[in-house]
Amino acid sequence: MSTTNTVITEDIRAKAKELLSSGEVKAFLGFTDGTLPMTTRPFVARRPEDAERLVWNSFCVMNLANYLPELLKGVEPPRGPKDPPPEGPLPKVGVLATGCWSRNIVVQIQENQVQRDRLVILGIGSRGMVDRKKVMAQVGGKEILAVEEGEDSLVVEGRGFKKEIVRGDVLRDNCQVCVHPNPVIYDYQIGQPVPAREIEGRFRQVDEIEAMSSEERWSWFQNEISSCIRCYACRNACPLCYCPTCFVDDSRPQWVGKSVDPVDTSIFHILRAYHCAGRCTDCGSCESACPMGIHMRLFTKKLEKDVLELYGTEAGMDPDVPLPLTTYKSDDPQDFLVTEAGGQASEQGRK
Amino acid sequence: MDKTSVHNKEWEPKIIAFLCNWCSYAGADLAGVSRFQYPPNIRIIRVPCSGRVSPNILLDALKSGADGVLVSGCHPGDCHYISGNLFARRRFALFKRFIEFLGIEPGRLNFSWISAAEGEQFAKVVTEVTERVRALGPARRLVKEI
Amino acid sequence: MKALRLDQADLERWFANWAKTREVYAPLEQSSTSQSISATRSYVDWAILRDGRFPVLDRGLPKSPIKKFFLPQPEVLFRSSTKKDDPDAFVLKEPEEQKDRRVLVGVRPCDARSVELNNLPFEKDPYFQSNRARTAIVGFTCRDRCQTCFCEAVGGSPVGTEGMDIAVTQLDDLYIAEVITDRGEELVQEGGGAPEASEEEISRLKESKEQVKSLFSSMSDLDHSLEAMKAKDLFALYNAPFWSQLADSCINCGTCTFLCPTCYCFDIQDEVVKGTIRRIRYYDSCMFPLFTLQASGNNPRGQKVQRVRNRFMHKFKYFPDRFGPFSCVGCGRCIRECPVNIDIREVLRDLLAVE
Repeated sequence: MSTTNTVITEDIRAKAKELLSSGEVKAFLGFTDGTLPMTTRPFVARRPEDAERLVWNSFCVMNLANYLPELLKGVEPPRGPKDPPPEGPLPKVGVLATGCWSRNIVVQIQENQVQRDRLVILGIGSRGMVDRKKVMAQVGGKEILAVEEGEDSLVVEGRGFKKEIVRGDVLRDNCQVCVHPNPVIYDYQIGQPVPAREIEGRFRQVDEIEAMSSEERWSWFQNEISSCIRCYACRNACPLCYCPTCFVDDSRPQWVGKSVDPVDTSIFHILRAYHCAGRCTDCGSCESACPMGIHMRLFTKKLEKDVLELYGTEAGMDPDVPLPLTTYKSDDPQDFLVTEAGGQASEQGRK
Repeated sequence: MDKTSVHNKEWEPKIIAFLCNWCSYAGADLAGVSRFQYPPNIRIIRVPCSGRVSPNILLDALKSGADGVLVSGCHPGDCHYISGNLFARRRFALFKRFIEFLGIEPGRLNFSWISAAEGEQFAKVVTEVTERVRALGPARRLVKEI
Repeated sequence: MKALRLDQADLERWFANWAKTREVYAPLEQSSTSQSISATRSYVDWAILRDGRFPVLDRGLPKSPIKKFFLPQPEVLFRSSTKKDDPDAFVLKEPEEQKDRRVLVGVRPCDARSVELNNLPFEKDPYFQSNRARTAIVGFTCRDRCQTCFCEAVGGSPVGTEGMDIAVTQLDDLYIAEVITDRGEELVQEGGGAPEASEEEISRLKESKEQVKSLFSSMSDLDHSLEAMKAKDLFALYNAPFWSQLADSCINCGTCTFLCPTCYCFDIQDEVVKGTIRRIRYYDSCMFPLFTLQASGNNPRGQKVQRVRNRFMHKFKYFPDRFGPFSCVGCGRCIRECPVNIDIREVLRDLLAVE
């Protein structure tokens, strides 16, 4: 049966094969099938025949931009730390990009982590990806042995059950409120652009939390991170986290204790999220990677909302618009300041 | 800080104040030499610029048991480094909203601009911040205990 | 070996009686209680068994392994203080040994076996041994096989009793409890005993175990010749070309190692908070660059491929070379939870194919 995703898969394979055969790219970054139902594995095709292993389906949840800085370094000819860079242009890498991933690539370009002229971007309009945890919840946590994807539904099968699930019901939270499904930069368009969406209540989850009292929010936050095992999958799945030494690993001074302590875990999540302020595109990679099902994208979503409200920008929409925390305006809002007259009594978090 | 001490009269808030070298620290100095009274609850840490103060530092203060934090720098336009406080302004605006969103009480983190000439202002801000923190009681939420 | 016959009510009575003097932990449903937020989650993990709940045994393995009961995150090794009025300031003292006894109920054979495997490197570790001495394991043998199970390929068995004090097997309408250790016997007494199983029930038990075993081997997609790995040349495995492809996908997070029952690597750090010092031991992961970073700044495993390789080489080559068995119980947690679906069984196949 031919669906949007199978057509896209064919197009990706053909284009990747062409790029690899012609030598235009040295490596092509995409996805291949995982070994379990509803999983995919980010995969680097280096030979034209590898292109046949590329796939596109509703479970491509890892943000490929995450791999780019390292992959670009990896395809450069080997050289010593003091050797000059080689003459002529460096090899290119091909990559798939949906709306959010392409915006992450823009951020990486702005932050000098990747070079636009070394990328060949295959843009894909995203119909939203499926959250496998939601699918599991739909069948009561029973083991799913096979999933067949149709155009707008999933047929899941396990021991003693077979169920058809509407795709729209199990989309990831971030995909449900996505307003930029189409890539902002690309070299080739794969498939058709997705019609622009108007989302009612784009920040509704954040609004729900803001409506709570300070105590309720604190207990929500503590409850949310209580199961954190500090594996740092959220950090490592994030295309914004490329620091050679993470603040978590700093020891002089040490910002965050390293064991599972509620305060240390809180500080880790606060700082991790805050480092993404104005840069996060809500790709949902962190949440998809979390083995414990922590909804940490709600933290970054709040920052996204505030950045939009205070500074009117969204990350990665335009390479020429500087990132909000790397710039300023003389009339930026400053109603959060203490004044000697006792101003700013309002609770900022609720705004 | 003993957790029960809020109930007896002895508890006094401990507030860490990060003051920029060029304006607010001099403002504090002026408050002193001008004999303006302000509560003795603040512990001043001099920093080169409010732009130097990162969220890591603020959280570290709270984690180590500070009941409140005050960051103060030069007024916009007066920064010794031209724009340090303007970057800081965006950073703090977002950060304050963010940690209040996660349930830290508003009033634990405080920001202000105080120039070297504003000794009286400094005393007033410190008084205001101290009262605000006193009303909240001892910090509990991000204080590490081992 | 003594085998007792129980029904569900007997088991519940045991659990209730044990709870009088011990902490009883079991796999239980963990639901997020996030008030009004439309984001929810649910999984099965270890928690204290109370209020007449029964262990959740039909939803596969609990999310986390039982290593946290033996290698807690963190383990406090020493305490001291920096206070001026403390005559023993800066003198490190071991914390008082914890004596609270615990029972883990509903432990699967793979998880139970992991304690025995971890015991090999931690044989002389007083902290591990003290935790082991106070933690009894009441195992439940497996009846179903998850698609990620491969215990039989790494030397375990779905009906194995290694590491357990009592092994419970569910037959259709009843449970048979085999009492394996003296501590198990003690638990039976504390629980209030149960009648011995009849000859017929014991033969049913054996039959059921054989059935499960053959079910597992019929479904196994891993070659049983994994033992061949032990004879393979270390450097041939080390230099195999497939590692770099594996590293292409890996994001170097610690999910696999933190959720692995037999990953036991740790780091030690001193924490000083408000006049109190504690020296803690906490999980570390060979996936992190900091794991091998030396004080000089040199990092012998500075590249991702080196770190990815280490986890598998340690489990299937270095550890068996030193201790005998593989450092893997085949629980499949790393396969299920890996964000990028790195499948340890594929790695094993690749390793076996190395000449």
